[in-house]
Amino acid sequence: MKIMLETFRKTLTKVIHLRSIIGYNGLVFALKKTPLIGKLLPDRLYSTTALKVIYWVFHIIKEAFMLFIGKIFGLGMIYLISLFLKTEYVAFGMEKGISEGNLFASFALLFFIIYALCGIVVKKPYFKCTTEKEYLVFMLRMDPAKLNITLFAYDLAKLVIGYLIAGIVAIIAGAPVWLWLGIPVLAVFIKFIGIGSQAFSFRIKHKRNKPMKENATLYVIKVSLLAMVCPFVFMMIMNGFYIDLPIMLAVVALLVLLGTLGFFEIKRFNSNLHRRALHDNVAKPQVDMFKDVDNTKHFKKIKAKGTVSSKKKGFEYLNALFVKRHFGMLMLKPILIAAGTLIILGLFIAGFISSYYREAGGEACMEMVLTSLVNILLFKGFPNELLLVEGTVNEFFRYLAQYHLLVLLIPISISDNSFKSTQAMYINCDNSLMTFSFFKQRDKIIKLFDIRLKQLLKINIAPAIVFAFVANLVLFYTGGQDYPFQYLVTYLIAITISVFYSMIWLAMYYLFQPFTTTVNIKSGVYNVVRIIIFMVLSIIVWIPSHSLVLAAILVVITALFVFFMRKLVYKKAPKTWKIKT
Amino acid sequence: MEFVISHMVKSYGSKQVLKDVDFVFEEGKIYGLLGRNGAGKTTFFNCINSDIDINSGSFYLRENKDTDNKIELMPEDIGYLVSTPTVPEFMTGREFLKFFLEVHEEITPDKTIDEYFDYMMVPEDDRDRLLKDYSHGTKNKMQMLLNIIASPKLVLLDEPLTSLDVIIAEEMKNVIRSQKQGRITIFSTHLLDVAVDLCDEIVLLHNGRLEPIDKSNLGNSDFKEKIIAALKDEDNA
Repeated sequence: MKIMLETFRKTLTKVIHLRSIIGYNGLVFALKKTPLIGKLLPDRLYSTTALKVIYWVFHIIKEAFMLFIGKIFGLGMIYLISLFLKTEYVAFGMEKGISEGNLFASFALLFFIIYALCGIVVKKPYFKCTTEKEYLVFMLRMDPAKLNITLFAYDLAKLVIGYLIAGIVAIIAGAPVWLWLGIPVLAVFIKFIGIGSQAFSFRIKHKRNKPMKENATLYVIKVSLLAMVCPFVFMMIMNGFYIDLPIMLAVVALLVLLGTLGFFEIKRFNSNLHRRALHDNVAKPQVDMFKDVDNTKHFKKIKAKGTVSSKKKGFEYLNALFVKRHFGMLMLKPILIAAGTLIILGLFIAGFISSYYREAGGEACMEMVLTSLVNILLFKGFPNELLLVEGTVNEFFRYLAQYHLLVLLIPISISDNSFKSTQAMYINCDNSLMTFSFFKQRDKIIKLFDIRLKQLLKINIAPAIVFAFVANLVLFYTGGQDYPFQYLVTYLIAITISVFYSMIWLAMYYLFQPFTTTVNIKSGVYNVVRIIIFMVLSIIVWIPSHSLVLAAILVVITALFVFFMRKLVYKKAPKTWKIKT
Repeated sequence: MEFVISHMVKSYGSKQVLKDVDFVFEEGKIYGLLGRNGAGKTTFFNCINSDIDINSGSFYLRENKDTDNKIELMPEDIGYLVSTPTVPEFMTGREFLKFFLEVHEEITPDKTIDEYFDYMMVPEDDRDRLLKDYSHGTKNKMQMLLNIIASPKLVLLDEPLTSLDVIIAEEMKNVIRSQKQGRITIFSTHLLDVAVDLCDEIVLLHNGRLEPIDKSNLGNSDFKEKIIAALKDEDNA
C-alpha cells in the first residue's frame, strides 16, 4: 500500500509539474499572439520564475475552485431540490408510509443517480490523450497504465472530498448521516461504471482491430435514453409519487455491483491497451488552441469539372477557370439571397392577391393582377391600375422608396460576397502565383484587377437588382413614378452601390493583402480601415436624399472612387500585394 | 552579367537576421548557399524577391565588374522556387502551362505543352489532373518548368530538393545543371553533400553574413570538416 501510494505521489508530481509548464507556456504564447501587446512581450517571459510561481498559485486556486464549484452546484442543487420536494410533499400530505428523512434520501438518491449517469455519459473520453499525457507517455516513455490510473485516482479523490464538503448541506437539511457518507462512495462506483464500460468497449474494439474511438451513434442513443428518463420523473413528482427507499437502495446496490465489475475491467486494461487508447484519442495540443484557426479546408473543395472556351486567353482564361471551379463558393450566397428575397416577395404578393380575391372577387382580382403587370411593364402608363395599400403606411414606404434608397446598402452589403471571393482568390490562386515574378508586374496586376472587378460585379449584381426591384414595387404600389425613368434610377442606384461595395473589398485586398496561409487576417491596418469603413457606411446609410440627386452623386463618387483606387492599386500593389506567413 | 549585393541588412525587431550581406554572384555558375537551419536563407531570398523589405543596403545587376552601370533588378528578372511548392490548385497542369505561356507574350515557345511536360518528365496521367492532387515532387517540377520557360536572369532555388525522392531529386539536379548557362543560380540548402555535388561555388550564410569558400578545395576530404567548423564557430564573421 505504501509503495502504491508512493508511486501515485511520484506520478502525480510529474503530471502536475508538466501541466504547470504547459499551462504557463500556453498562456505566454496566447499573450504573445495578442495584437499590439504581443509584440511588446519579450521571449524571456517563458523563463521568468516569479511569474511561473504566480501562475502556479492561480492554478491551484482555480483547481480548488473548480473542485468545489462543480460539486456544490451539482450536489448542492440536488439536495436543495430534494429538500424543497420533501417540504412540499409533507405540506400536501403526500409522504404517507415514509419518514421525512427517508423521503429526502429517496429524492436525493434518485436525482444524484440521474445526475451521475448523465455525467459519465456526456464526459469526454476517459482515455483522452491530453498534451501532458502525450508528452509523458509518447516522448518520456512513462507507463501509460500507471499514469491513467494515477489521474483516475486523483479525480476520484477530488470527487469524494468535494461531495463530502457539499454534503454538509444535506446534514443541515436533516438528511441521515449514511446519505452524506454514502453519496461520495456511490459517486466513485458510478465513475467505475463509466471508466470500466469505456475500457470494456475499447478492449473489444482492440480485439476486432478497430480504432479505440467512442461510437457517435451509441453516444446519441445513451443521451437520448437518459433524456427519456426526465419526463417519467417529472410525471412521478407531479402526481405526488415517490420511489420507496428500499427500491432506491436496490438500484444503488445494482450500481455498486456494476461499479465493481467496472473496477475489475479497469484492472484488466493493461498497459498496452492504455497506450493504444491514448494513441487513438489524442486531443488538440494546448498551444494549438491559441494558434490561428486553419480556414483553408472550406476553400479547398475544388473539383476539376468543365473547362473554359479556348477564346479566352491569359488572365481572362485564369479568371474564367477560377470562377468555374469556385462557382458554388462564389455564387451560392448571392444567388440564395436573391432567390430567397424573390420567394418572400412572391409569398407577400400571393398573400396580397388572395386577400384581394376574397374581398373583391375573381374578376376584379384578375383585372387588378393584369393591369398591375401591364403597368409594371409600361412604367405605370396604364390608367386603370388598382391599389390596395393606402394611408400613412403607404406614404411611409413611398417616402423610403423616394428618399432613402441609400438603405439598399444594408441588404446589398449582406448579400455581397466580395470579401469571401478575395479570400478564395488569395488561398487558391494568388498565394501560389505571387511566387512568380510576372504576377507582380504593374501592368499584369492591374489587368487582373480589372477582370476581377468585373467578375465581382457579375457575382453580386443579382441580389442588387432584386433589392431594387422590391424598392420599385413599393414605389409602384404607392403611386408610381414621380418623374420619368424613376424605376430605372432605382436600379442604377442599387447597381452603383454594389459596384462601390465590391470595389472597396477588392481594392483593400490589393492594397493590404491581409490574409495568411490559413486565411486569417494578419494586418492591423486592414482591420482598422475595415472598422472605419463600417462606421462611415453605417452613418451615411441613413442620410435622406432624393433618388435623382442620390443617383447623380453616387455615379460621380463611384466613378471617381474606381478611378483613384485603380491608380492606387497600380502604384502600390506591386509592393503590398504579397504573401503573408 | 553579375548580381551585386551591397551591405544588405534585414532585422526583425531587435533580431538582426542579415547583418551585412555584401557579395557578387557571377553568371553561368550555380552558387550553393549553405547555412544552418534558421540561418536566414529564406529571408535572404525573400528580400531579393522583394517579398519583404530590407532595412538598408541595395542589390542590382551589372554587366561586369569593370562597368559601374547599375541595372535595376526587376520582378521579371527573378525566378524563385520556394521550398514548399505552391501552385494554383484549381487548375490542371496543362491549363496552368497554357495560361503561363499566354501571359508571357514576350516568350516564343520552342516546344508544345506536351513537349515541355516531357522535358520535365511530368507523368502523362498527371497532366490533366488538378494541381492540388499533384505529389510534392511533381509540383516542384512544375515550378521549375515555369522558371525555365520564363528564363529569368537570376534563379533563386530555396531548398528545392528537400523531401524529393532519389529519382526526382536526381532529375531536378540534371535540369538545374543544364539551365545554368546565361544566368545566375543561387541554390540554398542545409545539406552539405547536395551543395558539394551540384554547385560550382559554395557560399556560407553564417552570423548574418555571406562568406565565400575557396572552390579549389572542393572535393578535398578536409573540405567538409572545414565548412562544419566554420558553421559551428558562432564568432566567425
